[in-house]
Amino acid sequence: MAPPRPKLRVRDVEIGHRSGRKGTYALAVDGLSFDVAPNEFIAVVGPSGCGKTTFLTAVAGLIPISGGTLELDDHRIDGPGRDRSLVFQQASLFPWRNVVQNIEFGLKAHGRLDAAGRARVAELVELVGLGGKGDKYPRELSGGMSQRVNLARALATDPELILLDEPFAALDAQTREVMQEELTRIWQADGVKAGKTAMFITHDVPEAVFLADRVLVLSRGPAHLVADIHVDLPRPRTPAMKRTPEFLAMSDRIVDLVMAQSQIGKQAQPGRRVTSDDHAGVAAG
Amino acid sequence: MTTQVSQPASPIAGPIERAINARKDKKLTTGTLGLIGLVVVLGAWQIAASAGWVDASFASSPVGAVRALVHMIGTGELWPPLLSTLESVAYGMIITVVVGIPLGLLIGRSNTLYGLTEPLVSIMYSVPFVVFLPIIIFWFGIGAEARLVIVVWSAIFPLLINVIAGARNVDRHYLQVATVFCAPRLLTLRSVTFPATLPFVLAGVRQAVGRALVGAIVAELFMGNAGLGYVVQTETSGFKMDDAMAAIVVIAVLAIVLTRSVAWIERRFTFWSSSV
Repeated sequence: MAPPRPKLRVRDVEIGHRSGRKGTYALAVDGLSFDVAPNEFIAVVGPSGCGKTTFLTAVAGLIPISGGTLELDDHRIDGPGRDRSLVFQQASLFPWRNVVQNIEFGLKAHGRLDAAGRARVAELVELVGLGGKGDKYPRELSGGMSQRVNLARALATDPELILLDEPFAALDAQTREVMQEELTRIWQADGVKAGKTAMFITHDVPEAVFLADRVLVLSRGPAHLVADIHVDLPRPRTPAMKRTPEFLAMSDRIVDLVMAQSQIGKQAQPGRRVTSDDHAGVAAG
Repeated sequence: MTTQVSQPASPIAGPIERAINARKDKKLTTGTLGLIGLVVVLGAWQIAASAGWVDASFASSPVGAVRALVHMIGTGELWPPLLSTLESVAYGMIITVVVGIPLGLLIGRSNTLYGLTEPLVSIMYSVPFVVFLPIIIFWFGIGAEARLVIVVWSAIFPLLINVIAGARNVDRHYLQVATVFCAPRLLTLRSVTFPATLPFVLAGVRQAVGRALVGAIVAELFMGNAGLGYVVQTETSGFKMDDAMAAIVVIAVLAIVLTRSVAWIERRFTFWSSSV
């Protein structure tokens, strides 16, 4: 039941970089393959330092891949493009621009800041819950509000694929819960279709399960795919869902998979490699 | 538009308002204390002069200085030297800004240029510029051009140091945002690199203005035929201490007005900077 044309096609992707003083070649990602369907929200989890952010950076076009293919809408990704936008881990807002001007930046960079673009920005300010705060400057915003602006800035350009790099990692627990809820609401409300295609990187498994249609588990570095889990929880999702047995069972299962990858010295069983059409669920039982 | 202005005034003083008020009170106290200090010193000076403990023709006195100042304003003999000094500072600052800012940006953005010039700029910044005075006189004479050289020489290094630091410290994340959204080079320069550097540039200009005034006065003291420094020099030589003191008062006011103006511009344009 995989859709005929994937939005994002990842095939045998390998990312390497030179590190250390001797410049030894190290692989961050090795033989990663999966597909992302249009309008799908996927979350990528894995042990810390496994190369998930490196992979996301490559999809954003900020670093090159050293092997395999990476295609968005059948076009090879070979640099940053207008069809993608990135929600940064640090909000990285320009302190000299107010909320509205920060959200406008992408459109301005694309030369599309016309009346329609401004209307879109005004709509987004309301959508992300910053109504009436459009003329505030970043130094006046809390961490949660900054990430709302960060998200709105990425949505403003109407990208084909939106990449989110642990955007809630630096927030406190309560704000984080609120923002997860807000993100599902915004994602479902924005756009005429079921939502934009999105790839969300996190190390927080419940967060991944709560937000995503599919959760990909990566191995410890160099990263390859360990499990591809379809999250069949109904939408719209509410915080109450986090306490249902289905949710908890799924989270536990994925946490176990990630933990098995995190444990040092357990290299004997690196986990069977799965491909994206292997929808059987958990690979390493 | 400062952030304080944009915040609505709350009828009930919250902790933030109270903190702001406390800071205002503290500011007021500092201001009052400063005034008291000034009055005490001037008073002691005046008493010492009036009581004859010091010779007023050597030491002048506050009243004498003010009287001389009023006289200088009355006859209009204050204006030509004041304008002359201002002219030196203005021309010197124009050259300093026009040369210093682009040069600083260029050095800061190039690792090679930075490596090559960093020790030189640091040395020139640290060495008191007055030691070059005899050499500058030897090279350029004692005319207006030589005075301009001294003003620029003293003003440009603090500006360069700041602009270079600013250009080198543009946050990597800001540039990454520009890259991800495919911002054209010119837009990145205008909307990201320039505003990110602006606080450093303006801090540099503020320091440079102070140093330009010092340069102008020093040049007038040693080789001038006009300007406030020249007035101090000639009046002192003529034993007219009240007039010399009056000129010094004018220089002090000028220094405060110049640096405060740039500080105001700084707050006006970089109010968003958290370091302000």
